[in-house]
Amino acid sequence: MSLVTLPARVLWHAFFWTYERATWQYDLMVMAILAFVWVTPPAWLGDPMAAGQPGLIGWAIGLFSR
Amino acid sequence: MTFTGAIGALCMLPLRLIIGLCVALRIHPNVLTFVGVVINVIAGYYLATGRFTTAGFIMIVANIFDFIDGKVATELGAVSKFGGFWDSVIDRFSDLALFIGLIYLYAERGRTDYVMVTSVAMTFALMTSYTRARAESLIPKCKVGFMERPERIVLFMIGAFTNRMAAVLWVIGVLSVFTVADRVILTWRELRRLEREAAA
Repeated sequence: MSLVTLPARVLWHAFFWTYERATWQYDLMVMAILAFVWVTPPAWLGDPMAAGQPGLIGWAIGLFSR
Repeated sequence: MTFTGAIGALCMLPLRLIIGLCVALRIHPNVLTFVGVVINVIAGYYLATGRFTTAGFIMIVANIFDFIDGKVATELGAVSKFGGFWDSVIDRFSDLALFIGLIYLYAERGRTDYVMVTSVAMTFALMTSYTRARAESLIPKCKVGFMERPERIVLFMIGAFTNRMAAVLWVIGVLSVFTVADRVILTWRELRRLEREAAA
């Protein structure tokens, strides 16, 4: 497998999902999802219920901009 | 053991006690399934009123019933074709109760954008189970795609407890679209293979 085709294969396997639960691929996907859910500032998504809450990225930006 | 495997094993400890209790009381699994949907409707009501944390706790209770019905049926020797059918139908109503609760909430707040996001997520969540059921009438197995019911339920709970429902709806929506596409692709491939084998 070449380094050129590796990202394409990873993307294809993420899209065409055939892995079982409790595999390392499943764990990786779960972590990516949790990162998206918790790290993305709610304002970026226009979250109607979490407006004004910073999210982890917003919190980190606020921390460094002080 | 993987991270998600360890969490699953940890959750099984209290569930085994509840399953044991239901078996000892000889509660019929179809009754457990029905109680699950009723509690999910209550969770949907709490989502509709914006009380996410309460809805999260109610979802935990509802999904305990959803989860244990099959196990109780096995242990009681009450596994039946109708039980499987009843469980699948009731599960769809449980899903719909939660989505409809959120649609009401966003509509009431005038957020038509999230009414649409939730509606699309709901449509593809339903299509996820429909495509599998229909495919398995044509091919032996169609279990591909990430976003199945357990993943949806856990995501709903995470969204409710951490007040990140918008992000959760995006994840459910996008990954449900992929899951439906995966099932269509797999069915197309398998049917072509079966036709080629029949012709040979």
